[in-house]
Amino acid sequence: MRLILKFTLLFLLISVGVFFLGGMITYQVFKKEIDLEQERFLKERLQYITRMIERRQPTEDIIWDKIQIYPLGNLAKGTEIQYSDTVVMHSTLERLEPHIKLDVTLEIKGKFYRISMYDIMVEEDDIVESVRESMIWFYLLLTVIMFMVGGVASMYLFKPFNGTLERIKSFRIDQQHPIQLKKSGTVEFNKLNTFLEEMTGKIQKDYQSLREFTENASHEMQTPLTNAIGKLELLLSSGNLSEEDTSKVIDTLGSLKHLSKMGQSLNLLTKIDNREFENIESVNFSGELSAAIDNFKELMDLKSISLQCENKQDVMVSMDATLTTILINNLLSNSIRHNQEHGFIKTFLDDSRLVICNSGPSLAVAPETLFERFRKDRQKGDGLGLGLAIVKRICDASGFSVNYTCEKEEHRLEIAFKA
Amino acid sequence: MKVLVVEDHAEVAENVHIYLEKEGYVCEVSYSFEQAMTKLGGFKYDLMILDLMLPDGNGLELLRWAKQTHPDMGVLILSAKNSLHDKVKGLELGADDYLPKPFHLAELNARLKAIYRRRQLQGSRTITCQDIHIDTETMEVRASDNMLDLTRKEYELLLYFVVNKNRVLTKQSIAEHLWGDYIDTLDSFDFVYQHIKNLRKKLSQAGAKDSIQTMYGSGYKFSVYQ
Repeated sequence: MRLILKFTLLFLLISVGVFFLGGMITYQVFKKEIDLEQERFLKERLQYITRMIERRQPTEDIIWDKIQIYPLGNLAKGTEIQYSDTVVMHSTLERLEPHIKLDVTLEIKGKFYRISMYDIMVEEDDIVESVRESMIWFYLLLTVIMFMVGGVASMYLFKPFNGTLERIKSFRIDQQHPIQLKKSGTVEFNKLNTFLEEMTGKIQKDYQSLREFTENASHEMQTPLTNAIGKLELLLSSGNLSEEDTSKVIDTLGSLKHLSKMGQSLNLLTKIDNREFENIESVNFSGELSAAIDNFKELMDLKSISLQCENKQDVMVSMDATLTTILINNLLSNSIRHNQEHGFIKTFLDDSRLVICNSGPSLAVAPETLFERFRKDRQKGDGLGLGLAIVKRICDASGFSVNYTCEKEEHRLEIAFKA
Repeated sequence: MKVLVVEDHAEVAENVHIYLEKEGYVCEVSYSFEQAMTKLGGFKYDLMILDLMLPDGNGLELLRWAKQTHPDMGVLILSAKNSLHDKVKGLELGADDYLPKPFHLAELNARLKAIYRRRQLQGSRTITCQDIHIDTETMEVRASDNMLDLTRKEYELLLYFVVNKNRVLTKQSIAEHLWGDYIDTLDSFDFVYQHIKNLRKKLSQAGAKDSIQTMYGSGYKFSVYQ
């Protein structure tokens, strides 16, 4: 739900209460005012009647509609004006209607008169009815105006906010310059913008230093490794090592090489994560695949692995060319590496997917866990455990989906180009 | 053969120096851009091994300058940055080869010899080692006057052995030499073993002496009586 809509609804909900209270107050005020006016009206009539009595000095009871005068002689006593509510037959409406009644005993020219006067009263129900009706009309009017004004005002008020959203959407962590957000007249939006500018600036700086660190770490590692490998090779070629020592030196060389490869692979993973391979172009995947298969054919032959290809020609895929090569090489070398003597490899390629099946010992772990870094089945010592992690990252970076299943001794890796 | 090693890391430079001296090269070392300029200004070298990352300058700049003043000199680039950009740039500027760190000294030696052979326009391109003759241009191999029918990989393997004769070569260095980066994630040692087995068979069928010695623990040596 949009903020402005929420805001409007909340406002209208609160307004219901306010209008209810307001209606009650209005009713009270009306009622008081009307009562006052009616009493004043009766008082004025009383003066008029008094003057009439002064003039005519009646001796008989006078009973008119709404006025009754009873002469009491000299023996009565004057009273204060008293108001009361009563029900009287209304002459024209011909039904009982509530009236306000004035009772007083006055001394006029030495004689006392009891005077009662009636006036039709404005009924409470009528006041309630009219107040309620006007309140409902006000409320409807308010609702319509709120929605109209809300729609227009939100476009205007949220303009800086929407602008900020647009900027944030186009924000890329690897761009050099920090994002610039427009100043607005709203304190909250300015706070948000300031916060976003600082945060993205910091993210960019951290990202930059992380990138430099991984790159440097990987490079700086290679030179000492070169030295160590060189020294051991000189030792080997000196010719005066025992066989046992030779074997130790060769083992150490293997470990050093392993370390170097690991640095390079982690560096590659970092580079993919950092989106450094983003020269997306249309790559002839079929061509790349068949070139790689040619390269690996000899190794397959050496391991007596049979190869069966069902690859469509000229399949074009849009991705980074370097990553294409790395991806295909990783997949093929994996399918050879985890294969067995006299095993098989089957490849299938069409416009939507690449499938590589190979024979090999069944897995002791769930296949999808092998996409994690340093995950190896049965912890084989010689591999890095990064091959499938790299495959996964490349697929993620290129927008492909990758799926690995293993049934008995057949492994099946499928990459769908349009995820 | 005179070689200039331009490498700021003294230990690495020393390893290369020792290895190449043993191979019979005349080897000199420069530790900086400045020193290399001075040496190149005063002497002539057949080959230069150049590290791209120097403390006082960019190796690519040195390469550009050296190629103008010493057009006949072969250049092999060493780089800790295994970056495609540097490699392409280096080869464009006239370097003959590019070797990422860390490298095997035997591999460095093989590459240097290959550069040297390619650059020797007049000289013989035949390598002779005891009764084996390798013509590096036609890739023909004769052993005891019998023509050997070798696959491309077997040929490369034999050549690698011959240029690194009397040295222990690890299976790893052989595998990397034969398959390069493709071998990265493969357990390649069985493949090396198979190739060596086939090569031995072909050599002995041709009547050549079996000079490939298996060293205890994943190593081989092409032993030649000196």
